[in-house]
Amino acid sequence: MKIAYRHLVQHIEENPSIDQMSDSLFQLGHEHEIDGGIFDMEFTPNRGDCLSINGLLRDLAVFYTVNLNQEVFTEKLNELQLDFKNLSKNNCPKISFLKLEIDQVPETYKKSLDNYFTDLGLNKNNFFTDVSNYLSYETGQPTHCYDACAMSGKLIFHEIEKNEEFETLLDKKITLTGKNSVFSLNDNVINLAGIVGGKSTSCSNKTRTVIVECAFFLPEAIIGKSVKYAIQSEASHKFERGVDPESHDKVLRRFIKLVSEHANIKDMSIISFEYEDTPIHQLPVNVHKINQIIGINITEDDYLNYLSKLNFGIDKDIIKVPSFRSDVKTQNDLAEEVARLIGYDNIPKSEISIPKNDKTNHKDLENKLRLFLLDHGFYEVINSPFVSLPAEDAIRVDNPLDSNREYIRTNITNSLVENLLFNERRQKDSIKLFEISDIYSSSKGINKKRKLSIIASGRVGENYKDFSKKINKKYLAILFQEILPNEVFDFKILSRELLDTKIKNEIVSLEVDIDKFSDDILSYREISSPPDNFNEYRPISDLPSSIKDISYSVMDFSKIKDLTDLLLNYQSDIVKNVFIFDYFKNEKTEEIKIGFRFVFQSKIATLTASEIDVIYNEIIIKSLDIKGITIPGM
Amino acid sequence: MPDHKDITPPKLTKDRGSLHPINHMKDSIMSLLVSFGFEIIDGPEIETEEFNFDMLNIKKSHPARQMHDTFYVENKSNLLRTHTSPVQIRGMLEKKPPLALISGGKVYRKDDDATHLPMFHQVEGIYVDENISFAQLKDLIYKIIYSLFDDGVELRFRPSYFPFTEPSAEVDILSKEGKWLEILGCGLVNPVVLENCNIDSDKYSGLAFGLGIERIAMLKHGVTDIREFYKSNLDFLSQFK
Repeated sequence: MKIAYRHLVQHIEENPSIDQMSDSLFQLGHEHEIDGGIFDMEFTPNRGDCLSINGLLRDLAVFYTVNLNQEVFTEKLNELQLDFKNLSKNNCPKISFLKLEIDQVPETYKKSLDNYFTDLGLNKNNFFTDVSNYLSYETGQPTHCYDACAMSGKLIFHEIEKNEEFETLLDKKITLTGKNSVFSLNDNVINLAGIVGGKSTSCSNKTRTVIVECAFFLPEAIIGKSVKYAIQSEASHKFERGVDPESHDKVLRRFIKLVSEHANIKDMSIISFEYEDTPIHQLPVNVHKINQIIGINITEDDYLNYLSKLNFGIDKDIIKVPSFRSDVKTQNDLAEEVARLIGYDNIPKSEISIPKNDKTNHKDLENKLRLFLLDHGFYEVINSPFVSLPAEDAIRVDNPLDSNREYIRTNITNSLVENLLFNERRQKDSIKLFEISDIYSSSKGINKKRKLSIIASGRVGENYKDFSKKINKKYLAILFQEILPNEVFDFKILSRELLDTKIKNEIVSLEVDIDKFSDDILSYREISSPPDNFNEYRPISDLPSSIKDISYSVMDFSKIKDLTDLLLNYQSDIVKNVFIFDYFKNEKTEEIKIGFRFVFQSKIATLTASEIDVIYNEIIIKSLDIKGITIPGM
Repeated sequence: MPDHKDITPPKLTKDRGSLHPINHMKDSIMSLLVSFGFEIIDGPEIETEEFNFDMLNIKKSHPARQMHDTFYVENKSNLLRTHTSPVQIRGMLEKKPPLALISGGKVYRKDDDATHLPMFHQVEGIYVDENISFAQLKDLIYKIIYSLFDDGVELRFRPSYFPFTEPSAEVDILSKEGKWLEILGCGLVNPVVLENCNIDSDKYSGLAFGLGIERIAMLKHGVTDIREFYKSNLDFLSQFK
């Protein structure tokens, strides 16, 4: 909600700057951003009472001297004759109507009203609607204006459940479905209660006689409707969060006053329907409890002084919660009020000591398994559980984000196949992935199984010993046998037939219940543990990469170190990776053959052959500067 | 002089994989909390409305319960948990105070944009004992944040609202660029929630806190797009080893 600084500060004696007021608002828990002289407020959903100038000023009164001196019409009012029936008193326990007739519609507004529109950059509508909108901003109570000329007949408030088309005053046609609280006139819906009024009874620039409806709707009757019908209104936002049930008389009298400042009122009358008394929440004064909750030591006088600043009534040992604070119900709520006033950051810390527990980590087995896979070049992935295709026993999402995410996966392997193809498309030729996840299915209730799935394809590794070896079933079987010699795992070869790829490497996979692993794995001694800190993350490129290999013949073995130091640490914006993929020492010829693979990739654009050649040639020249090294065939 | 023909082959670089950075972050936070005395508990990702909402004092009218915020499954009989808090409820129903429990894992909300995903991760903790105060909660949060970030990082507590805690707070840290960044939510357990779990709220009080793992991982590693975590791109994953 946008609230202008100058609309607030004009009521505050100390005249705080916008930054001072901003600090006060933050301390009170009212998050906001400042844009020019406007606070863009983001109130927590329990503080519907703050959605107005007056509401915010009531909170700011704990720091400043606030004068809420808006004038209201004070004289006696005639009773309005209105054919109205409330058939849903639970949803609307209180409602008032005011009828006003003016001699002519004003062409211009007084500064106080005009500033609301200009300061907040709002469009004007028609006189009565403009007054209503301003009043909602000032008091927090939404009102709705009907053109009295269109209101003859029987007016009913009720909750209906029938499909009916309804045209809003914003010219939007919606079809009401399910249960809705509405106002009907002669059996036609004229107002979707608390959300938006209808076109047929809306005011215009010509309206001189208005019926103003001022209601207290239960949040439950309003909530979800604005989203359902895609109508964002200030009124629904306020009703959903709760308005002050005791404000009607004052708000309507303020309405009269504002109208009277702009036009001569020829006639006015009012009627209120109150079906139940608003309960006054009362809590015993218990400063000991408040001190215990917050961990401070304030006196009862200080405590009660804090509460009275927030309009709480104090009657001997009883605290009376003001009608606009429907969120305050318990001693913990009162403690929060005190804590806000003191300032959360001003409450000193108090040493906490949690008794140590001797429970072992029940995920030890799973963690050991992860470290074993890590040591053998596997990368852990996490996939979304949402899939498009139903499987047998798959759980269906009632309200999916889209049809591609309508079911919950019943296996991990399919996700890993997608991950594999994703990486193959990025020129990866050694892919080893695993995921551990709960997998759910629906068969006589919801079933959960914790599973490990692995997938592997391509080269065993990048280093010169593994480079030419291909991953196959045997490779994985040996790997697992190494740590779990007594267990047999059902590795599968996945067919590439239906996959969109030309790569031919075997895909080996395994999906198994975590329960299948015995405690034997706990004896596995990992080679190293995951790091505590990582290097600074470098954004990755999605552009294609290119590969260039260089094979050297080295006769002077002492130069090997110079060569590897030079090439493995080669610095260039486009050299993404370099590693030794081949190493062979020929004892007979006393020669070492060593091959380096360079992976080129740019973060800016796809590299051309000539761009790569520039760096490639530079590498060759620099490396051949080392004596005793040649590149066969060059 | 060494014989120039006697050479050790180049070091055989072991191709190590990596833990997923989100799981790694989750594990680190959980280990830290275990060292403080918390016990790890688990719960299902597919939950009932009762555990996910009712027991946590989230009213039927609360916006979070709407179809546009929560994924419901199997004709609304169950839902995908929107937070790990229902695990705390299960823990409180099972164990007697004093209890200090943490749970971590996947949670689901009906969002999908550059900063929100329909699936993300949380770690939540709860400590119920006699005379737990907001001042003690602050002490614990300072300890957690100092361990996760630099010791002495500036932080602030802001009043906030969660139906299951009262008072409630959100905690921000000051970034190197001088910007306040929201890190976690916390508060004293609402006595209504304790009573829902058959815990005498006159005798016991509790503190609770919850962290979004992705947010912390993004801040710690400098990842700006949350979606990168879930593309399973080896170029991305290989940076976290």
